[in-house]
Amino acid sequence: MHFRDIILFSMQASTASRGRTILMLLAMAIGVSSVILLISLGDSARRYVIDQFASLGTNLLIVLPGRSETTGGPPPLLGETPRDLTLDDAIALTQSSVIRRVAPIVAGSAPVSVRQLEREMIILGSSAELLEVRRLSMNQGNFLPPGDLRRGENVCVIGSGGKQELFGNQKALGQWVRIGDRRFRVIGVLAQIGVSLGEDMSEVVIIPVAVAQSLFNTESLFRIVVEATSEDAIARAKEAVLSIIRSRHEGEDDITVITQDAVLATFNKIFKALTMTVGGIAAISLVVAGIMIMNIMLVAVSNRRAEIGLLKALGAPRHQIMGLFLTESALLSIAGAVLGFLLAYGTMELLAGFFPEYSLALALWSPFIAASLALGTGIVFGVMPAKRAAMLEPALALSRR
Amino acid sequence: MIRLQQIQRVFQVGEEEVHALRNVDFSADKGEYIAIMGPSGSGKSTLLNIIGLLDRPDGGTYELDSIMTTTLNDREQAHVRRHKIGFVFQFFHLVPRLTAEQNVELPLVLAGVDKDERHLRVRETLGAFGIGDRARHRPDQLSGGQRQRVAIARATIMKPSVILADEPTGNLDRASGNDVVHILEELNRQAITLIMVTHDPELGERAKRRIKMVDGGIEEDTGS
Amino acid sequence: MHVQDFIQLTVNAVRSQRMRSFLTALGIAVGIGSVVLLTSLGEGLHRFMLAEFTQFGTNLIGINPGKVTTHGVSGALISNVRPLSIEDAQALKRIPQVVDVVSVVQGNAAVEAGKRQRRTTIYGIDPAAPEVFKLQVASGRFLPDDPPRAARSFAVLGSKVREELFGSGQALGERIRIGSERFRVIGSMESKGQLLGFDLDDTVWIPTAKALAMFNRESLMEIDVLYEEGSSADEVASQIRKILIARHGSEDFTITTQEKMLEVLGKILNILTLAVGGLGGISLLVGGVGILTIMTIAVNERTNEIGLLRALGSEKNQILGLFLGEAIVLASIGGLAGLLLGVGGAWLLGFLVPALPTHTSWTYLLAAEMLAAAVGLLAGVLPARRAAALNPVDALRSE
Repeated sequence: MHFRDIILFSMQASTASRGRTILMLLAMAIGVSSVILLISLGDSARRYVIDQFASLGTNLLIVLPGRSETTGGPPPLLGETPRDLTLDDAIALTQSSVIRRVAPIVAGSAPVSVRQLEREMIILGSSAELLEVRRLSMNQGNFLPPGDLRRGENVCVIGSGGKQELFGNQKALGQWVRIGDRRFRVIGVLAQIGVSLGEDMSEVVIIPVAVAQSLFNTESLFRIVVEATSEDAIARAKEAVLSIIRSRHEGEDDITVITQDAVLATFNKIFKALTMTVGGIAAISLVVAGIMIMNIMLVAVSNRRAEIGLLKALGAPRHQIMGLFLTESALLSIAGAVLGFLLAYGTMELLAGFFPEYSLALALWSPFIAASLALGTGIVFGVMPAKRAAMLEPALALSRR
Repeated sequence: MIRLQQIQRVFQVGEEEVHALRNVDFSADKGEYIAIMGPSGSGKSTLLNIIGLLDRPDGGTYELDSIMTTTLNDREQAHVRRHKIGFVFQFFHLVPRLTAEQNVELPLVLAGVDKDERHLRVRETLGAFGIGDRARHRPDQLSGGQRQRVAIARATIMKPSVILADEPTGNLDRASGNDVVHILEELNRQAITLIMVTHDPELGERAKRRIKMVDGGIEEDTGS
Repeated sequence: MHVQDFIQLTVNAVRSQRMRSFLTALGIAVGIGSVVLLTSLGEGLHRFMLAEFTQFGTNLIGINPGKVTTHGVSGALISNVRPLSIEDAQALKRIPQVVDVVSVVQGNAAVEAGKRQRRTTIYGIDPAAPEVFKLQVASGRFLPDDPPRAARSFAVLGSKVREELFGSGQALGERIRIGSERFRVIGSMESKGQLLGFDLDDTVWIPTAKALAMFNRESLMEIDVLYEEGSSADEVASQIRKILIARHGSEDFTITTQEKMLEVLGKILNILTLAVGGLGGISLLVGGVGILTIMTIAVNERTNEIGLLRALGSEKNQILGLFLGEAIVLASIGGLAGLLLGVGGAWLLGFLVPALPTHTSWTYLLAAEMLAAAVGLLAGVLPARRAAALNPVDALRSE
């Protein structure tokens, strides 16, 4: 029997009982589409987070005060240390040849007021370098002026959201705002950017680091963000940071350096594991669909006894009968997979329409996974019924009406 | 006790309307033995189905034991069917997964008769039809004649006033066929009305009243 | 028709097609099994988290400096122009329902004892901490009730720090250096284990004022208030708010009641459990389609029987009921098997990975079984209605 004829024969067989074929396709499609959808959602989430990370800047290292000896534990994001990171530490870091930029950061919250309007806002004390390091861009005016980090004027740059809250549609540039007990002149407004990893830059007020230190009455820095000269230099930059700070802190390793790519790799791993888990759970439904295909093929075999008997009487060998039934379940699975893919594609497009900011899209490899899973399911669960068909005794098969 | 007046039944076959019954008037008294005969498509099965309340006429009235059945809803019709009518089919129509006993018991189960009473009546009926020893066999373990006996036992277990038989011997060999006819005639002698559709002239001759149908109408009725 | 007979008829129909019924029920079983397993995991996680959070007790209210805005950054992490002071904490003791108040400063410093050194978490804390946080002193005593601003340089060691610094030796009475200051060890704590990743055993407890000085801070990171059992958290919170606003002039702090936090946490975890259960539900959906298909086939194959039943005087509703019943019986059997699968799976998982918290609640099991029956009911409706609507004459005539 030619391959083409086998396919034709199977297609005729499955279109003959249309209702149940449609239901089988539906079951397969539900399974396949949920696998594709969940994998794709997981993958989209992964890409989103990684894009967000990348948009923070590239080749970044974050230097935090304090170090935990509990390996595997969280870095000491919270709390204070007796030996702070100081502005001088930050300035010392600029000496290294593998470090391109250094942005010291002091963070605090303080009431910000314009005339009667007062808002509690996050205040970031930093330097001119922050603009480049964090890939920020200006909507109006200028960022903090470069110059000696130890001095600073009472000027501030506000985020687009903060501008809206404080000034509404009025001009902000050149206006004075009160932060805590001091007055600052607005010299720039940041361009609108999305929320990135919970740090909403559009709601912050950025002032020179030295001014922030005196505002919050502190000598220490919240952290230092360092940009390495290139991707290859990240490891060396980390070493450089550690050794420079060690030499300044009397030989003590009392800081933690987090590299961006390490964080990225961790996130990547977590999200991949999550995606696989969720996809795996969805794949259980494919097993159920497979059981269903097996069930219905068994019904088909018993309903088509006479036909099988006839085929045998006409000289069809066992393997051919088996091939016919296997082809039928494989065809059903493939059709179900195609349908499921279309369903997933449609749903994803719909979701993407509703949530454009998350750049949802089907993972490129998900259709292949789903298709191979579906085909595998169809064949695995198709073997038993096909075997049963092949083993029928022709005389017996014909005798029953 | 059976009175059909101006009964019409029209089937839609594609574009065409087929008049299966054209203004049929027919009545039968209690205990009559009637054979309905005629060529295929003459409307004899349709008439039987309407008498059996399996089919609704498109026009006319049908009175059974002074109940106007044409105005009854599905529930009420089912009730009448259950208690007054017994069917015997050409292909027996036994439920293959149930034993002979369970098949005969089925009408009692549907009517909600208690288990003890059911068993008593089933046993009695099966015995009366000579298949008491076959009670626990499934239909595929019975011969054709035995199957039809089970079917007749099932038709009579509710003590109906009418038995409708559609070609009851059509699927049986001559010996079993005669056997079945004798059983039915015996029931008729117990004052149960027997209406039988057949195109076997020999069988038809045995009936006391013969109706010949042609093209949806009664052409000849020896009784009226 | 009697219920008993009804059941017998449906079960008979299910049993007459053994292989087919088995596979159909298996589909539902896999679906229900995964729902049960996944919700067990979710519920286990829920209980685990609640236990973690309530090990400090439930009658707690936390106060952090700074108004938490949409940024979601707690005021404790960053500098603040309006600090919470030790005096603020003392003032809260005046509220009648308040049992105790603990002010907290947390930091990280190197601790030296003799030649050994360890970098660890330092908590500046009040003497009432063991009562409020339900901590147990292993030996010696906790920080004494000194005046808050003039506390003596005493330190209490967490179990892990004690072991790292002193091994099996005597720690009580020894002098240690934290940062540049010297402290005397007056006690050590029982092991408390990890709390959401924070190791409370790798900790040194010192008086709040000493910690503020050491870390050169003005503001406390948190004030924790323990209130009387049975008092309303909201009422205590509003009194705290009143007192602090009177002291600060405005609401520049954030109050979190444990009650509200647990409520929010519970809600989130419930959603998680539901979401995960929903993922398992996809399989159940496919299983439902399986029942639908098999019942459609059954109606087709048994058209004759349906015609016969109608001829024998059964009502449409009885036919409907019979086929619906069959679908429900299939689904319920599958459901029961699924419960076994799910519970067994959860047990096996708990056995193989003891760290994984699983918990199977009877309510979930019952709900899952009801769900299975409901799936059967839904999947059965269409075929059963078709069966009931069949014309008896046609049905009897069909091959």
